[in-house]
Parts: sequence; C-alpha cells; structure tokens
Amino acid sequence: MSAARTETRELYRRSRSEQVGVFLRGDWWRIIVLGLFLVGGIAPLVMAFLISLKTIPQFARQPFALTFPLHWENYGFAFEIVLEFIRNSVIISGVTVVGVLLLASLSAYAFGILEFPGRQVLFYLVLSLMMVPSAMTLIPSFVLVKDLGLMNTYWAMILPWIASGQVFAMFILRTFFESLPKELFDAARIDGASEWQGYWRIALPLSKSMLGVAAILNILGTWNNLIWPYLTVQKQALLPLTPGLWAYQTEYFTRYGLTMAGLLIGSIPLVLLFVFTSRWFVAGLTSGAIKV
Amino acid sequence: MAVKEMPALPNTADPAVNVQERRKPLGKRIYEGRVAYTMLAPTFVFLLVFMYYPALLGLYRSVFKWAPGLSADFVGLGNFTQLFTKDRVFLSSMDHMLQLAAWYVVSTVGVSLFIAVLIHRLRGGRAQYTFRLGMILPVVIPAIVPLMLWKFIYDVKVGPLNVLLIWLGLESWTRAWLSDPNVALYAVMLRNFPWVDGVAILILLAGLQAIPYEIVESAMIDGASEMRRFWSIELPLIAGQIKLISVLTIMWGVQEFTAVFAMTQGGPINSTMVPGMWMFWNAFRINKMGYASAIGVVLFLLTLVLTLINMKYITTEEY
Repeated sequence: MSAARTETRELYRRSRSEQVGVFLRGDWWRIIVLGLFLVGGIAPLVMAFLISLKTIPQFARQPFALTFPLHWENYGFAFEIVLEFIRNSVIISGVTVVGVLLLASLSAYAFGILEFPGRQVLFYLVLSLMMVPSAMTLIPSFVLVKDLGLMNTYWAMILPWIASGQVFAMFILRTFFESLPKELFDAARIDGASEWQGYWRIALPLSKSMLGVAAILNILGTWNNLIWPYLTVQKQALLPLTPGLWAYQTEYFTRYGLTMAGLLIGSIPLVLLFVFTSRWFVAGLTSGAIKV
Repeated sequence: MAVKEMPALPNTADPAVNVQERRKPLGKRIYEGRVAYTMLAPTFVFLLVFMYYPALLGLYRSVFKWAPGLSADFVGLGNFTQLFTKDRVFLSSMDHMLQLAAWYVVSTVGVSLFIAVLIHRLRGGRAQYTFRLGMILPVVIPAIVPLMLWKFIYDVKVGPLNVLLIWLGLESWTRAWLSDPNVALYAVMLRNFPWVDGVAILILLAGLQAIPYEIVESAMIDGASEMRRFWSIELPLIAGQIKLISVLTIMWGVQEFTAVFAMTQGGPINSTMVPGMWMFWNAFRINKMGYASAIGVVLFLLTLVLTLINMKYITTEEY
C-alpha cells in the first residue's frame, strides 16, 4: 500500500515539475492573492517596527510613516526589561520541557512496550484527562499551589505544567513506540538487556525526532500561557515573557515606541527556535491535536 | 480515507503466550511488571497531585459557597441554578462564547481552506514552499504580541483603524472599538484579520497532498473545471481534516479567554464577557471561588459532551 503511494507521489511530482516550464501559467493570480494574505498577516508587525523607531513627539506628528532620525535606543531600553522576561521564560519552559520529555517517554515506554496487569485501566485513567479543560482545574490548582507555598517561585509554573504537558507528549510518544518493531526489544532482552536499557539505548535514540516534536509543542504551549503566570507570580523579576510583555505594555502603554520595540524583541526567541528546528515544527503542528 | 499507511497492530504478541501469562497468579504478574510500575510512578505522582486532585476538588467545590479563608457552606446545586436562572452575565457570556466559537470555526475553516487550495494549485514547487513557510511563520510569534498589536490598532485616538477610516473619509464610522459595548465583541472577534491560521493550513495541505494524483488526473481528462475539481474531489476527500479542524477549534473556543483577558477583561459593561473570563472574575476579583468552580464544571461538561459527540459521530480514522 505504502509503496504504491510513494509511486503515485513520484508521478505526481514529476508531472508537476514538467509543468514548471510552462512559466507558472495561471499561477500569477494565485500568487497575488496569497501574497495579499501574507502582507495582511505581516502588516501589524511592520507597523510595530515602524513605530518602534519613534519618540513620542515623532509619533504624534507622523504616526505611521518612517521618521528621521531613527531611534534605535528604544530597543536598548526595551531590551533591558524584556531580557529578564526572556531569561525567566527560557528557564521555566526549559525545565518544564525536560521534565515532560523524561516522564512522558518513561510512561510511554511502559504503556507502549511493556506488558503488565492494569495497563488498560491506567491508560484510560490518563486518557480521561484529555477531556478535563484547563478552565476547570484553574481555581483548585491555584489554591493548591498557594497551599504548597509555591507562589512567586518558578516551581509554581514548572510543576503543574510538567503534569499537564506530559499527557499529550505521552500520547504521541506511545503511538511512536508501538510502531517500532517488537523484534528490536526482544533481541535486546535475549541478549540480557534490562527494560531500562531497552528504554535508554533503543527506544530513546530511535525516537529523537518524535521527542523533538513533543518538545516543540510543549514549549509553544508554556511559552504562550498568560493567565497562569499572571495568577501565580506577582514579582516582576520572576515573570515569564508572555505576562511580562503584557505588564510591560500596560506600564508603558502611551510610549508607543518603547512598547512596540519590546513586543518585537519578545518575538525573537521563538523565531530563532523555529529557524533551527523548522522540520520538527512542521511535523509537530500537523500532528493534529493541537491548536496553538 | 486515503491516509492509512499501516493498520495499527495492537497486539502482535502470540495469543498462546498471553493465555499462559494469564494463568500465572496475579501477584506474580504484578511483581514481574515492577519495572513498568516504576516507570509509571513519577507520571502518576504528578498527575495525582496536579491534575486529578485539582479536577476532583473543582467538582467538589462547585457545590459550595466558598471563599478562601472562610468556611465553606454546602449549597447543593444552588450555584448551578443561580448560574442558569439568575446570572444574566453568565448567560450572555455563553451567548458571546457561542458567537465567538462559531466565528472562529467559520473563519478558520473558510480562510484556511481557501489558502490551502490556492497553495496546492500552485504549479511552481518553490512558490509552494515559500507560501507554506510564510503562512506558518506567524505561529512562532508569541500569541500575546498580535493581541497587543490589535489592541493598539483598535485604539480610539491613535489606532490605525480609525486613522484609516478618517483617511477614507468615513469619519462617522470611527469609534472606540474596544470600549463601545455595541462593537467590542465584534472587535475581539475580528482581530487578526485576515485570519490566516498556519496550523489549519498545514493540516489541510497535508490532506490535499495525500489525494492520489490519478483521481485528479482522470477528472481533468474528463474535462472537470477547477471549481468542479474542488467541489467533487478535493472537498469530499479532505472532509476528515475539515472536521478535525472544526472540532479542535470549537473545543478551544469554549475554554479560550486569553484574548478577552488581554484585550478587554470582559468589559465594557460585560459586553465581551465569556464563561472562562467570568469564572476568572468571580474567583480572583470577588473571591466567589465556589461559584467560579461551578462555571469551571459547566465548561468541563460542555467539553465532555463535545468530545463524546466527536468520538461517536465524526472521528476520522487517521486521527
């Protein structure tokens, strides 16, 4: 079945590349329409960039067109504040994603490769969590984190996010582990490898790209969370990027040059991540069950 | 559906072995599964503390009148009856949520489908690649950034939207988009124009590209026009992806309140209030935690019903 499909793909591709010679006939209007969508999507960012180079008087005089001299020092000012948020976000999302991958890969290995009594029941117990919306756990989680004395620490975000993030990561990893040939693990067992070695030396190395996908999805989720950090962190010095930018914009709202510079600087880390991992990004985003 | 590469083989283990396994006493099998339990232990510790406990506590607290630090009074289903009979804000928030979710589905599916088909029909491979990349890129801009930018675009004095309207001579159309109760909900709804959703586009494109070329080719030989090709071949064959996107968007739309939170906080005069925001408001602004928990439970039940409908009627094979 899959061989037939690759063949079809190949034919399809070939017939396409032959057509390229026909000077993109009929493509021009599609390119224009798609281009308009792209421009429309990017326009707010361009606007932000133009405004980010203005002082208050410059903005008052000529809000949208470029005004000279360009005030790059807005970026210097914004950078000092936003850098702190970025650092917090990197620590929080970084520790979270490591925890998520570790826990999720272990449990995915148990559910996907090992046999043990209660496997089904335990699995459905985890599956049922997919139906619990974060809105329902918001208040009790807040009370819990407060009672545990975690308010205003990184842990207030890291621990709950590991717990909730591992569920989805476990699902995609389990599906992947199940697709690995069983013989690999049997052969290792015959050679005297323990299950831990099977996990560490066979399953993990083979699933690097899946781990990458799970990691990207998890980072996107934690990075963009506004409400939870807003609730659990009151100290500005501990704020991650998303609530940080929100607070920053509220504070400097009418100094548009500074706000826009801050928003643009805040966008850089994820863009960099995308540049280096675009393959995983694309695979991860199409894996379906996520809405960023 | 075409995409069905390898049928999942759930248990390739020899059934005979299984029967033998079953014959072993349970205690022995549990002992032999100790590695598995050890591997699951950390996961379940986290789930118990940070997922199950809060979820159950949320259910439990929803039948109390409760504020932190004060004693909780049991009120039975009182919170729920109050929500659905007396709380006008809650009822209108449900209405707003439905309007928003309906719009999110229409715009996401409509625009993404249009863009995906256009990209798919591009003949140049490089143009296809470029546009595909261009459409995903906005996904990596932190979600808060476009929200803040659109808050600025809607600004009454300096916002580009009003500036543009004045420039077009439509001065009477200008307004305080986010603080006028008559239009605030629509302003929140219509943010992010032109509603490009990179994820949905990728999913649809993957579906379009999985359509075997023979089918398309035979239709073309039979003289099918582009429109005909779309309605009779492509649309039915990517119905699965469209359903998937719709379901995900609805489920997201039910809970989502980050946009409202960042742009209007539910105001002005609750005209953009959604259930999630109302829950937040009750819990953290006026300390009605039990009442807010009840709203959380309503959202949970709504999600549950949607999930069940999805599983029963519209789940497609490949997802």
